[in-house]
Amino acid sequence: MSDDTAGRELTFTERIAMLRATKMRHTEEKWRVLGSMDMDDLPVILPPPESRKVVRIVSGSGLLMTDALFSGFTPKSNHPSGGIFGARACGENIRSLMELHPTYVDPVSSLAGAYIAHFISYRSPGWNPDFDYSHLQGEQEKYRLHHGIGAVQHFCQDMTIGFELGWGGILEKIRRFRDVNTDDEAQELYDGLEHMVLGFQNWIGRHGAAARTMAETEENAQRRRNLLEIAEINTRLVTDPPRTFREACQWMLWYQLAGKMYNMGGSLGRIDQFLYPFYRRDIGEGTLTDEEATFHLACHFVMDTSYTQLGGPDAAGRDTTNRLSFLMLEAAHMLKVPVNVGVSVGREVDPRLLSRSVEILFEDRTGIPKFLGVDRTSEGFARNGYPIALGRERAYSGCHWCAIPGREYTMNDCVKVNFAAVFDVALHEMMSGPGIVPGVEDLWSRFERHLRRSVEVVAESVDFHMDHMYRVFPELHLDLLCHGPIEKGRDASHGGVEFYNLCVDGAGLATVADSFAALEQRIGREGRLSWQELIRLIDGDWPGAGGEKARLMMKNIPRYGSGGSRADAYGLSIARAFTSIVRSRKTPHGFNMIPGIFSWAATIAMGKDVGATPNGRRAREPISHGPNPDPGFRRDAAPTALALAVASVQPGYGNTAPMQIEFDPGLSRSSEDMRKVADLIRTHFELGGTQINMNILDRKAVLEAHRDPATHPDLVVRVTGFSAYFASLSPEMRQVVVNRIIAED
Amino acid sequence: MRGPMTGTGLVFHIQRFSIHDGPGIRTTVFLKGCVLECFWCHNPEGRHAYPEVRYFPERCIACGSCVSACPQSAHALKGGVHTFLRERCEGTGACVETCFAQALQTSGRLMTVAEVADEVDADREFYTSSGGGVTLSGGEPTLDSAFALAILQKCKERGLHTAIETCGECPWTSLESLLPATDLVMMDIKAMSGAIHRDATGRGNGRILANARRLALSDVPLVFRTPVVRGVNDSQEEIGLIASYIRELAALRQAAAGSRGLPREIRYELLRFHRLASDKYRSLGREYRADSIDPVPEGEMLGLLETARRAGIDARIPQ
Ligand code: SF4
Repeated sequence: MSDDTAGRELTFTERIAMLRATKMRHTEEKWRVLGSMDMDDLPVILPPPESRKVVRIVSGSGLLMTDALFSGFTPKSNHPSGGIFGARACGENIRSLMELHPTYVDPVSSLAGAYIAHFISYRSPGWNPDFDYSHLQGEQEKYRLHHGIGAVQHFCQDMTIGFELGWGGILEKIRRFRDVNTDDEAQELYDGLEHMVLGFQNWIGRHGAAARTMAETEENAQRRRNLLEIAEINTRLVTDPPRTFREACQWMLWYQLAGKMYNMGGSLGRIDQFLYPFYRRDIGEGTLTDEEATFHLACHFVMDTSYTQLGGPDAAGRDTTNRLSFLMLEAAHMLKVPVNVGVSVGREVDPRLLSRSVEILFEDRTGIPKFLGVDRTSEGFARNGYPIALGRERAYSGCHWCAIPGREYTMNDCVKVNFAAVFDVALHEMMSGPGIVPGVEDLWSRFERHLRRSVEVVAESVDFHMDHMYRVFPELHLDLLCHGPIEKGRDASHGGVEFYNLCVDGAGLATVADSFAALEQRIGREGRLSWQELIRLIDGDWPGAGGEKARLMMKNIPRYGSGGSRADAYGLSIARAFTSIVRSRKTPHGFNMIPGIFSWAATIAMGKDVGATPNGRRAREPISHGPNPDPGFRRDAAPTALALAVASVQPGYGNTAPMQIEFDPGLSRSSEDMRKVADLIRTHFELGGTQINMNILDRKAVLEAHRDPATHPDLVVRVTGFSAYFASLSPEMRQVVVNRIIAED
Repeated sequence: MRGPMTGTGLVFHIQRFSIHDGPGIRTTVFLKGCVLECFWCHNPEGRHAYPEVRYFPERCIACGSCVSACPQSAHALKGGVHTFLRERCEGTGACVETCFAQALQTSGRLMTVAEVADEVDADREFYTSSGGGVTLSGGEPTLDSAFALAILQKCKERGLHTAIETCGECPWTSLESLLPATDLVMMDIKAMSGAIHRDATGRGNGRILANARRLALSDVPLVFRTPVVRGVNDSQEEIGLIASYIRELAALRQAAAGSRGLPREIRYELLRFHRLASDKYRSLGREYRADSIDPVPEGEMLGLLETARRAGIDARIPQ
């Protein structure tokens, strides 16, 4: 609310534009201080320069990143290693961080709050060395597994618990159950949870006070009124549950910010459902308009880009799209920041929601929203032996994943088997064994055997994680809004919730499918080179003048995705083998595992782990993305061929294998063309697809921004399951995005 | 180029998820060979009815494989630089097989009707959900009308919606033979004035206009199209004449329909020429005469559309 407009009331649209500009300023400052970041847009704000310390840490998703610490907070270790372990210590520390955390009130926003530091970044070492897993490390290394030990969050709370109880009620609940579950584990957990709630109350309460102080000196009437409202709301929310739509948004924002602060959590789930009762009541009473509701949502999303699902089935399969679903879309549309909104596209989808989504996608070119094959994921989930109603309850709440709000622990997106690394082990084993006559069939059986072993190692690793995690870094934040942890006195990672369905994703499908097909064609059928020559080329990373020719020879075969090729057949075989191996048994401790195919941004890191591969990929280049064919898989780059390939390799047990697809904005300018894109989306899901990440990439802008990110600082792209500012990505990740569009030439 | 006994034809491209060649999501099959020589043609690789070698120098890694593969010595490698002596090329494609860099590619592949139909069939679910189907384009699909008919029939048997894109310069019997298996005809009228037409395409338009009239008298849904090219047909006068002719045809159809009930639609589309084909011309070693022609500005296109509409026909600019 700048001075030139001091004389009049600002519109909601003007205020949203100002919030967006503020976010852009914060973001650009982060680029300057922290450099690139290949992950979700974390809406963290940098600590003030005088209390800022830049460090390298491992993110909540296991990615190495640069972060800024707030030096006003000094963590208290409880272990000789310098680490912070267990519920009590983690609770004490997060409470102290919250209590020391500076306040943030933007008089333009209807909601208070921002966060400036990640607690996870102070925790070093992240894993307690007392819990030794060196017995697993050899094979974890051998297969380059993302094994999940120490992984945090990646499941979803039930926000309605908080909406019913408020912080006062939650505190009371903890204290009540403290007397019921008196064992040490429970008591320690209650200590941790209580610290966290007290931290929340202090943090929120100070914002009420800060807003009131600001209001005293505020001369602009609109701003003063807003500040007083913020003060009033936050004073109440220290103890009471929210009563109005705005209060519910404010409550939700605090919860989300703390999740980011604690362990980079950030699942929202079905926001259009759990906010709807507040919306309906306020609208009914005439205290809220659609415009104002959209504004509150925008105020939330500018500070929290978490994953949300719009629409989708209720327990009986009826579509639940409501007015709020549309307002959410409009809020994202007005903001044009990387908001992770997923639109459910089931049989019963409201056609207006789908067509508006496609329209916004083409108009904004931010890759927002994405699309969720909710029928396929709920039916697939039921194949684990659950009622389909439970599958429908699973809410989209992370990059490529869903979870039952408040009732399911999942480790989604944390455990990855790199098919390319497994293939590499198999190939080198075959080539180094004395007296072995190499052949594609032999290679396949070795690949399958190592794939099985790598899944077993993963299973043993997650068991180890489940045994110890509660004593390392418990889920204090998510526990508060889950059904069970407080009631039982057990962390969600240690028996607190009802369902345990652990995610195991495969990655690099096309890399390996194309490698098999290339070997079969060029060595087997055509006899153009020998296995010995091949291994020399691979190990030398296609050396010399002949190397490049051989590389192109191996690369230019009918590839996975082209349709009906041998590589397509291998793609299917790999997906089937992986699915059946993961499904063949539970972990040794009896946890259910659900297969998916998704590499996330780790496609780069996983590629660095693997030397050259027979599909003509150079050493350390990224592996293929999720279940996608490699760019250039067909000369016409037909989206239908892509959609068929990705639909064919779905594991089918409720976890996803998302299709990543890019369109040129020139493709579609008429409503008729957009309808065809909507038809493509629906048909992919009818064929078995589970999720679509769609980009409308303005190639000129992307290429310019790749050369010089500063030319398009606000360009937003859907990198993978998440969307982010293009300029925030590393040059390598930008190259991955660029390759997808230039391959279509 | 087709062996009538073998049921094959020369296809230079199959484009799936084609969304600007008729209703719904479609697959467009491009048949090679055309009789007109429109100098702006954006599919020059479809003009000749024989396979051609295309060369993309930026992909060449100078490996030399093509040099030894070519029986005509059409490839040379000197000082690490490859040159393609196109005048020697007889289009055997022996070099293409050896070029793993895909710097050499053949345009034109003999395919059987079943092969084409299978490729088309791959996207069946998408046609069903979107009301799409198959479109035969070119080149000029009526040039090998037996092959075209066989594809259309096979697709119809499989329940697909079928369309053709034609320049109209063909014996009426060729076009007529396709109609029983065709659900939509899209036909170009590039100019009304014979002289302009001849200048721009190498042939007059008498037969095209006559074919248009016969099509109007048939019952097939029709879309007439004019690629609007700067300096050729971008005048109010020319578009006005075309539009009037189409109005006449619509009236003819109306009168002929009489007892049969409502006449099927006749629409008109103005397509804006874009200078997109220079790489294609380069790869074929041909001059792109339209390279210096700018697209007609959008405002002028709207003016032309207005003119067409004033003639009283259903006209639009797609996209
Ligand atoms: S075979 Fe291809 S890459 Fe090799 S010299 Fe000939 S054109 Fe160039």
